[in-house]
Amino acid sequence: MIFAKKTLSISLLAFAAWGACAQAADLKIGALFPMSGPNATYGDIFGTGANLAAEHINADKILKEKLTIQYEDSQALPQQGVIGMNKLVNVTKVPYVLSAFTGVSKAISTTAARTKTVAINGGGVGPDLADLGPYFWNIIPLANFEVKAIIPYLIKERKLKRFVLVYVDDPLGASIRKEMTDTLPKAGGELVEALSVPASSQQFSGIAARVRAAKPDAIYIASYGSQEAQIVKQFRDNGLKQQLVSYSAFSIPEINKLPEAAGALYTTQNVDWNSTDPVTKRFVDDYKKKYNKMPTAYVANYYNAVRLFGLLAQQLEKQGKPVTGENLLAQRIETKTFDLVGGKATFASNGTVISAMQVNEVDGKGGKVVSVVSQ
Amino acid sequence: MEKMLAYILNLATLMCINAVLAITLNFIMGYAGIFSIAHAIFFGVGAYTAAYFALHASASLFLAIPVSMVAAGLLSLILALPALRVRGEYFVAASLGLQVLGVTIFSEWKSFTGGLGGVIGIPPADLFGHAITDPVQFLLLAAGCLVLVILVTNTLLRSSFGRNLKAIRDSESAAHAFGKNVAVIKTLSVMISSALAAIAGALYAFYLGFINVESFTLDTSVLLMAMVIIGGTGTLLGPIVGTVLLMLLPSLFSYMWFLPQTEIGAIQQIAYGAAMVLLMIFRPGGLVSARKNQGEP
Repeated sequence: MIFAKKTLSISLLAFAAWGACAQAADLKIGALFPMSGPNATYGDIFGTGANLAAEHINADKILKEKLTIQYEDSQALPQQGVIGMNKLVNVTKVPYVLSAFTGVSKAISTTAARTKTVAINGGGVGPDLADLGPYFWNIIPLANFEVKAIIPYLIKERKLKRFVLVYVDDPLGASIRKEMTDTLPKAGGELVEALSVPASSQQFSGIAARVRAAKPDAIYIASYGSQEAQIVKQFRDNGLKQQLVSYSAFSIPEINKLPEAAGALYTTQNVDWNSTDPVTKRFVDDYKKKYNKMPTAYVANYYNAVRLFGLLAQQLEKQGKPVTGENLLAQRIETKTFDLVGGKATFASNGTVISAMQVNEVDGKGGKVVSVVSQ
Repeated sequence: MEKMLAYILNLATLMCINAVLAITLNFIMGYAGIFSIAHAIFFGVGAYTAAYFALHASASLFLAIPVSMVAAGLLSLILALPALRVRGEYFVAASLGLQVLGVTIFSEWKSFTGGLGGVIGIPPADLFGHAITDPVQFLLLAAGCLVLVILVTNTLLRSSFGRNLKAIRDSESAAHAFGKNVAVIKTLSVMISSALAAIAGALYAFYLGFINVESFTLDTSVLLMAMVIIGGTGTLLGPIVGTVLLMLLPSLFSYMWFLPQTEIGAIQQIAYGAAMVLLMIFRPGGLVSARKNQGEP
């Protein structure tokens, strides 16, 4: 029995070693997504975008080797994220890691900086993600860009001057509050009240009463997930008829289908799903064919994150340089602008993408674009 | 093999930290029969205190660890005194309340904990003026702390205090009838356990250089409890075996190349669930069963 167990263990190890060798010729990048636990759904969504990009890169033979993505389960937790990051960096030796979730992103940023490995976020929008060092990039415009994009539109085009902000009590909400406090007076508006709600709160009648008392022209909601839908519904139920405004977290089916949200305005990065731009069209067509539904901004972001790697690595390979985190960073600084889904994208010096933004209106059918704002 | 080293060092360091937590939880759970699901809070208090102290006063281990131990010990004293008046499943409910309360405070007390955004840029631990940034040195430090915690708990358990704990576990009423001050013994045990758990917290903060509330949630408390139960409650080796197993399994799964990569999480959950059910049927005392040790001090 002991002999059988030993033989089995040795065979398993040998198979593992063989498997590792068999894949040695591939060019690997890492993905640190939650694949178990309560946030596993996000990992699945992010993965669809990343995988599609890898398929396209391999089909086009952009790189000399086959590009594969090594997934590690972060469970959206810092400790698991650090374990996964360590494996990707030290064992798989990837030069580039797709990251998601603020806690995980912050926890792995130290390892990324120390080992000169690029980590790229396509999900979190808290502005503090821009300050995690040169090896931490954001392929999603952060929340401060979203506020800057919509405020002039609301004041000039919609003639809305008095704003109330209802924000979730976390780094995202705090950053949107700071951005509104700074941006509104300069643009000719006024923040008459800023009301915070705890992240777990689901009852907003009291907040609605305070919003009504402030008599605003518009209500900016800075929350996410099911809480956001509850705020919208309860505000309308409590008789608040003012214009509702929000940011990219509004681009989810739950909000779009909500009758109370009709007419609400929100920003996203500028992605025209009907665009004839070849990169966007191919992405939308192939995604629809594969999953039988329209992609979302998150899917596009992780597609773009992998596509960005493909473009940078291609340039490095042409120059005969090894594909390392250090060289990828240097190449990104040199190239500046990239053809991604949604059009051309440029990176700011802090590694955060600057792309055109758009203002959308909730229409129950996925949202219609009412204004495009160039950064 | 060389490239594996950094990964193994990382895993081993986190195992040592988690083993300290499992051992300290076992100290109250396995020996005093106090089923606490708020252990992650004391882990968190230790981590936040050490981080705050390191950022604002000194990163010296000889100062940061004792300060975090005192903070966690005192907090547990305040909370244990009223909560320990109830026993059994009522204490589980009380500790659940503490866990929920603790997480809310960690999320909301932004000046101290940084809220959900956490504390970033914690300096490396300082030992005799030397900053411990090397992974091997940190592993040695974590292993040293683990050995120290094992020695302290073992010594306590072999003393009359340990015998009192076991007496309370076996029958609180009998221990009371024999003149034992049950409330004091239970409070002391929770205090010692929490203070020792804070060592793990301090190490964790120094090691990651970043902490936020996500590391100290109910999930962590449940995981620690699973480590103790799977390994074997009321044994010295049990919590360590449980920790190694529960931290190694996810890593091993991710090495099985024949499993679909994106489904590894789900497969792991199924394997955990099945293993727990089988373990409870065939070996309810945990992998390192305490039965053979009965009668020893």
